[in-house]
Amino acid sequence: MAELGATLTVFLVAVVAIGVVRWVGDTLNPVQLTVPERVPFAGGFDPEFHAWSRFHIRWYSMALLFLAFDMEMVFMYPWAVVFVREGMISLVEMLMFILILVVGIVYTWRERGFEWS
Amino acid sequence: MRDLLARLAVGAPVPVFPVAGGGTREALARLRLRPDVHLVDTPRHAIVLLVLGEFPPGEIAGLAAVHDMIPSPRVTVHWTPGGPRDDVPRSMRVDGDDTALVAALSRVAGEVLSGTRASEPPIRPDVDPVEWRGIGPYGHGGKGMTGGTPFGRPLAERAPDRDGLELDQLSVTVGPWLGALPPGLELGIKLQGDVIQEVEIHPPAVTLERPDGWVRALEVPVPVAELELDRARHHLVWLGEALRVHDLPALGQRTLRLAQGLTPGDRGEVERVLAEVRRTGIYRLALRGLGAVDPSQVGGLGPVARAAGLEDDARLDDPTYQELGFRPVSHRGADAADRWRQRIAEITQSLDLAGRAGDRTAFGDGVVEGPRGRITSDGILPGAVTVDLLPELLTGLEWGDAVAVVWSLDVDPTGVASRSSPEGAAA
Repeated sequence: MAELGATLTVFLVAVVAIGVVRWVGDTLNPVQLTVPERVPFAGGFDPEFHAWSRFHIRWYSMALLFLAFDMEMVFMYPWAVVFVREGMISLVEMLMFILILVVGIVYTWRERGFEWS
Repeated sequence: MRDLLARLAVGAPVPVFPVAGGGTREALARLRLRPDVHLVDTPRHAIVLLVLGEFPPGEIAGLAAVHDMIPSPRVTVHWTPGGPRDDVPRSMRVDGDDTALVAALSRVAGEVLSGTRASEPPIRPDVDPVEWRGIGPYGHGGKGMTGGTPFGRPLAERAPDRDGLELDQLSVTVGPWLGALPPGLELGIKLQGDVIQEVEIHPPAVTLERPDGWVRALEVPVPVAELELDRARHHLVWLGEALRVHDLPALGQRTLRLAQGLTPGDRGEVERVLAEVRRTGIYRLALRGLGAVDPSQVGGLGPVARAAGLEDDARLDDPTYQELGFRPVSHRGADAADRWRQRIAEITQSLDLAGRAGDRTAFGDGVVEGPRGRITSDGILPGAVTVDLLPELLTGLEWGDAVAVVWSLDVDPTGVASRSSPEGAAA
């Protein structure tokens, strides 16, 4: 019951805070943006097309690699705890795990995934 | 609360968006140095729209759109160092020098912020270009997730990209008043992501900046000290603006300050600032390998040619410069980094020449080596040729690199005008 009360309190405070921030914003600047004011600025001409376009993100392999090593760190925390108890065997296991990830780096390098353009 | 904020805003530097026409390069640099004015990069941050300089006859390109993008309260000020112009809509004209201009900017901004002067109404109608509200399954104007005209604009076209994929290609006009490009330069570009696929140069939105001192040197001999100080000043103003675009504004301000009242005695301070520019690592980090030009295409383009290894300099043929023992500096890389190195080396070289020249005079026989390259009596300015290099150099680059290449070339957008209309040419 106490937990429900706490949750409701946080919810209420959040709702009130949002209301206050919006009220302050509207009071300070009651002017709504006109259509010409909302146009993205590119130097004086209106854009002809919507900027909602699909393009090839070339840093995609770099992002995947980052995720892999980010997750590796997550595994390293529990490993650090059991390392003292398990000793050398756990060190070898972790080295094998890292080695598999390093193969990923070498592969990406070979595929020229680190070249930005 | 609103009154308190308005009072604070009145006390702050005036945010000004400049629409700078021809002949205002140095005036704009001086304005950047004024502590009570803040030149902003987009109309969104401005209160005052400042229209200055010379424009081709007719409506100023993009001015109405820029005016309407400034959020209310807004006010337009019009200042022309070279003479009045009456067709800037809804503007308040200011006559006089920089000090009068800055005083007028502060005054009108104060008035419009405190409510004693009404904000200017928009020039264009407050209606969407295409009806889109409530249309489609999500009310966004499209069919499904895509298709139709979501939010009032059609989606981009498709075209093959450099990786062999068929992806969207966005056509957009950048400039003429985009802070990242020299004022007046207008490019039609096709982008895939931030990679430029195609570049088209549009006619410039400003009129030709007549380099008067240099044009005079075509006909009569002019003191070498005067010419060389002018060259050093030109390169320092270029460096100040280029550093600002590369997000080094404090160093840019120092450089612009050096350009004011420059004398050969300032060499020590100039060298200290130039050494700091080198220490930023900008050559290695932002410029190396970008926009390499073919030396056969850049003959007569002054620093651009000499940065590509050519010993191309009209000063070599001038007896006064020969007497001073002049040898042109040159670099071999032909890329953006070498163009920066070239101009920076030429700043100190020019100060050295100006210091040693005494009252010697040079040129006067129809050919002059200007800061952007060779100026001849036939009237075509080096800027015209530099602008022509852009489509080839920018295609395939990412947007940020393209901006770096444009600045490294010290492009003069009015060069297009000098080429297309002989009567508009300099000499």
